[in-house]
Formats: sequence, structure tokens, C-alpha cells
Amino acid sequence: MTLRVSRRNFVAGSAALLSLSALGTSALAQEKRLRLLWWGSQPRADRTNKVSQLYQTKNPGTSITGEFLGWGDYWPRLATQVAGRNAPDVIQMDYRYIVQYARRGALAPLESYMPAKLDLGDFDKAQIEGGSVDGHLYGVSLGANSAATVLNTTAFKEAGVDLPTQATTWEEFGRMGAEITKAGKRKGMFGIADGSGGEPLFENWLRQRGKALYTADGKIGFDVDDASEWYDMWAKFRASGACVPADIQALDKNDIETNTVSLGKAAAGFAHSNQFVAYQAMNKDKLALTNYMRIKPDSKGGHYRKPSMFFSVSAQSKSVDLAVDYVNFFVKNPEAAVLLDVERGIPESAAMREVVAAKLDENGKVPLEYVSGLGDLAGKLPPPPPAGAGEGELMLRNIAEQVGFGQLSPADGGKQLVDEITQILARG
Amino acid sequence: MSNAMRTPAGAIPVERYQGAVAEGRFRRLWNANAPGYLFLLPWLIGFFGLTLGPALISLYLSFTDFDMLQSPRWVGIANYVRIATADPKFSAAMHVTLTYVVFSVPFKLTFALLVAMALNRGLRGLTFYRAIFYLPSLLGGSVAIAVLWRQLFASDGLVNAALAQIGIEGPSWISHPNYSIYTLVALSVWQFGSPMIIFLAGLRQIPQDMYEAASLDGASKFRQFYKITLPLLTPVIFFNAVVQTIEAFKAFTPAFIISGGTGGPINSTLFYTLYLYQEAFGNFRMGYASALAWILVVIIAIFTAFSFLTSRYWVHYDD
Repeated sequence: MTLRVSRRNFVAGSAALLSLSALGTSALAQEKRLRLLWWGSQPRADRTNKVSQLYQTKNPGTSITGEFLGWGDYWPRLATQVAGRNAPDVIQMDYRYIVQYARRGALAPLESYMPAKLDLGDFDKAQIEGGSVDGHLYGVSLGANSAATVLNTTAFKEAGVDLPTQATTWEEFGRMGAEITKAGKRKGMFGIADGSGGEPLFENWLRQRGKALYTADGKIGFDVDDASEWYDMWAKFRASGACVPADIQALDKNDIETNTVSLGKAAAGFAHSNQFVAYQAMNKDKLALTNYMRIKPDSKGGHYRKPSMFFSVSAQSKSVDLAVDYVNFFVKNPEAAVLLDVERGIPESAAMREVVAAKLDENGKVPLEYVSGLGDLAGKLPPPPPAGAGEGELMLRNIAEQVGFGQLSPADGGKQLVDEITQILARG
Repeated sequence: MSNAMRTPAGAIPVERYQGAVAEGRFRRLWNANAPGYLFLLPWLIGFFGLTLGPALISLYLSFTDFDMLQSPRWVGIANYVRIATADPKFSAAMHVTLTYVVFSVPFKLTFALLVAMALNRGLRGLTFYRAIFYLPSLLGGSVAIAVLWRQLFASDGLVNAALAQIGIEGPSWISHPNYSIYTLVALSVWQFGSPMIIFLAGLRQIPQDMYEAASLDGASKFRQFYKITLPLLTPVIFFNAVVQTIEAFKAFTPAFIISGGTGGPINSTLFYTLYLYQEAFGNFRMGYASALAWILVVIIAIFTAFSFLTSRYWVHYDD
């Protein structure tokens, strides 16, 4: 008897639950809902959420939920959601992945919304180009930045070494690094970070030689000599004490917190311009930004203005119109621009750039002035990297470490890098 | 239908109930066991939906090329062939993982047994110590601990500060390819809590009068340990060894956090599961990663089967 009662209750209860949840979905479906997903830290999340709130107050009846993760966790989550037909409506996208996602049909093409609903009229043309794949627009750039050298100016001054300028070559920079290390003003501090495993650095160096990491058709863009010379330059820096030893560099996990400048192990390190504010916040000393060094006094075009992040709209989204409207608001509304500042890079819209520039504080101006002042050092945006570029980046670092720890000669390292990347690209 | 309407909601109409009895044994069995199945339901859903189902799907995927965005493409045994013949990172990861298993499991078990024996001597405040020693195991997989480990074993960490006191200048242990794996072994040994608790329970099972008899006969402490404690504890040692070996093969978080997901420097912390993760989520090769996962299943199965086969030569159960 008890059995039957409990079973009846169970059936009745689950029926009630089912009808409740059915009610729930229909109630929510009436509302205009958007889901956002981006990577980044808490300050970025705060800014993004404020823009979403602003959008909701201006568009009553819409509800926007945002979620954010760190870079490393972001891509697994996104891939899983896309595979599970549960992708967020608005997706923060990176230059590295946009081709992959676009070609596989995960993103909605947006060019048909221009210019009426998506007004990118005052955008830098090259940066719109950066969000396009096979002639369709799949991403709206949220800001531009460039790779940069971060300088601890206090440490330079203490060591009595002048700061590098736009004219400084790698050779001179190496001598400066060695001087700082030799001055020994701070315990455990070396001149410069070991950049041999850093992909932006290697790419910049290759571009000044007229080469590239990858060609437009997804092949390797450099040869054994390029790579060997690269590893050799850093081996010499290591030997002269200009840069940190390999076991110190290996502490760097490719984020702001573990960069050798943040750890106080190097007076100069390598980063991206939009990270400057965060770097300064972590450091008591006065920091500054400068370009990557020249390979020769007359070489140019190594840098480029990189679309740092895109907003893409999922092809699975049920409310593409609303998503496009939100993205347009994000990049074109002056109030939103003030909230967002230059945290995702310098706004692409000329009008928004002016709005933001007027309100920037001293630290915020540094990246803006740096990127706009690159001059002949800035060149064309390279083509988006092919699938396998992520593996190639790990390989550059892995071999740099083998050379750094003395397990490989620079010449063998260069040969191995070209071999491995060729194989990775062939595998796709 | 009209008949059913008149019966109370949810109750089974009498004639249908009788019909069920006539239908046979299966129905009767179901009626008798329904509450049992009902209570099992959450577990059953979990097992079929979250364990067995995904496992079978991953077995299927291991024979495909699947990038999570497009449909899987059947490639037969190509993934397994590549693992066996043309993947240097597979052997690197295998080497790192086996080194980890071989060093961490024996050290951890020895340490756990020593602490358990110390705690077993009727210490005051035993519960407190048990909790304290168990704590690291609870924190084990956490990011905070991995970060703490980096602080300890970095070039200017506590370990080197201590070494500096005796005039030794240590390297950055955690970021040097020759030592980094051993800092992870140390982390694992430090998390000795769960085998320790099990050892403690095992030690409590050994009758005290055996020790009393042995000391009357003049057996030394060491001899008592060797002749009484160890043999009687072998079932527990066996259990702990099997569980910890499987855990060690599956280790992931510490290496992921400490190396920032790269497995570096120079693949020295490229645990098998970390490599699998890189392939699956870093390079979008879900099919290949599934094949890697199934190879790991087979390797763990072989190790476990080997342990069970050899166990009858050294594990003594009370009759």
C-alpha cells in the first residue's frame, strides 16, 4: 500500500514539475534573450556586463546573460558548446580561430546587415578585412593592438642605461640587456626576458626579413636559416647574460602574472599593448611601452595593428537580428565606448576612438600613443594563421627551451622547427 | 477509459493489475522491485548517461576524424596506427607518466603507512591530526595548491631559500626539465591522506594480543612490524596500491596548472592526460584524443590485471 502511495506521489510530482518547466520555457521564450561568451579577467567582465545592462535599459524586454572564462578554458568550452548545438549567441572570437570556425559553418555571415543594422562605416578598412573569411564578414573587431616591449624604466635608470628607442637594433638591445644584468642593482634581475619561444617576437623578426610565419595558403613562411639565426641570436644573449636563463624563462606561462617583468626577473619583457594597464597595475616601478627592436637600422614593417578580439554571431543563434544589434551597440554607442575604454584594445570606429581618447587617464593613453606612433615599423596584417598554428606555437617554444637548456644547438633547433611545423601543417 | 477516470489519480485499476499478474514473472518481479529501481534511478541515469554512453561514443569517435564542428568522418584504425608508429609526443607523454607512477606510488604509500603507524599509537588529539594530515588530499586537485607549489619550488622559492642557508644555490626546480617532474611527485606524496586513512583502519584491525604475545617471546619492534603488521596489512596495501596507481595514471591538474597547459619545459611535465587534453581541446582532434583515451584504458587495465595476478603470491587474507 505504501508503495502505491509513494509511486502516485512521484508520478503526480513529476507531472507537476514537467508542466512547471514547460511554463518556464514558454515564459522565457517570449522574452528577447541573448547569451554572450568571452574570455578575459574580472575587470573585462565588469566592463562587458555594464554595457549589457546599459543595452537592457535602452531596450526593455531584452535579457542578456554573459559568461567568461580564462583563455585556456575558453576554447574547450566554446568547441563543446558548438558541438552540442548549444552555442552562445554572441561569441568573442580570436584571429587565430576565426577561419576554423567560419569555414566549418559555426558562425553567421554578417555582411548583409551592413550598413543599416551594422554600421562599420568609420572602421579601419584593414581591420574589417581581418574579420572576413572567404569574402564574408564573420567577426566585428572590438579593438586593435600591437605586440610591444614592456620596459621597467625605473630599473633602466638605476642601472644607468638609456631606454631603447624606435631606432634601436636587436644587437644594441642585447648590449643594453647585458649592461643592466652586469650593473646588478637588483638581486636576481636580468636585462631582458628570453623571447626565443615567443611567437609574436619571432613573427615580427621574420617580417622584418620579408618572411612570414605562414603564407596566405597555409604553408610555412620561413626556412631553416631564418629559424637557426633566430635561436642563435638568443643563445648569444643568454651567454652574455643579456637575457634571463632558461629555467627562469620557463616560469613564464604566457600571461601577465608570470611574465618575467611582473616577477621582477627582467627589466624588459614582451607583451601586447592592450595589456599595459594591467602590467602597470602589477608593478610598483614606472613602466613604458616600446616597439620590438629592428633587425637592421633600416628594416621596417615588422609590427601590425592586430584586431585583438572579435564579436562573432553563432550560426545556431535563434536571434541573429538581436545579436547583430547588440554587437553594433557594443562598438558604436558612445556610452558603451566609455565603459569599455581601451581594455580590449583601441576602438576601431574613429568616432569611438575620439570619445575614448578624451576620457583616458595617463596609463590608458600609453597603448593608444604607442600603437598610433609605430610609423614605418607597422606593416600589413598577415593572413589568418592556418589550423595547426596553435601546435606550431607550442613547438617554437618547446625547441626554444631545448636550445635554452643546452639540449640542442641553435642550428639543429632551426632545422627541427621547420621539420616539425611542416609536418603539423601537412596533418592539418 | 471511463473506468480509469473514476479511479483515484495514479492508482492502477484493479483489472489491469490482475492482468499484470497473469502476464508473468517479469511483471511480478518489476512490481516487487519497483521501489528499488526507483531509488537506483539517479545512479542508473548517471551510469548510462554520463559514464557508459559517453564511453561508447568515445570508442566510436576513436575510429573517426572529429573536430567537434563538423560531423565525424570514419577513418578506421588510422588514429591507432599513428599513435603506435608516428607520434613522438605519445612516447614522451608515456615516459613522463610512467616516471610519475613509478616514483609517486611507492613513496606515497610508504609515507602514508609511516604516518598511519605514528597516528595509531593512541596519540592524544588523534582526530585532529587525522584531519590535518587528510587536508592536503582534499585540496589535492585544486589550482591554489598547484600555485603554492610553484611558489615553493621556483628559483626564489622557499626550498631554495632553505638550501641557501647551507650554501647551496638551487635551480628553479619547477621550471627545469631535469627536476620538474619530481616536484610533481613531491606534490603527490604530500597528498598521502586517503591511503593513510585506509592504512589506519587496517592497522586497527590487527589484534593487539598478537603483538603482546610476540613481545613476550622477545621479538623486536622491527621484527613485529615485519612478521605481524606487514603480512596482516597486505590486503590493504594491495587495495591502496591499485587505487593509487590508477589515480597516478589519471593525474592531470597539477601538471596543467604548473606548466600553464603546455607540459613544458620541454615536455617534462607532459602527462598522458595533459597530452590527450591538448589534442582534444587545443588542436580539435577529438577522434585522435579518443583513441589516446582508449589506449590509456587498456594500459590501466593491464597494470590492474597484473596486480591482481601477482597478488595471490603476496597478499594474505584471514581465513
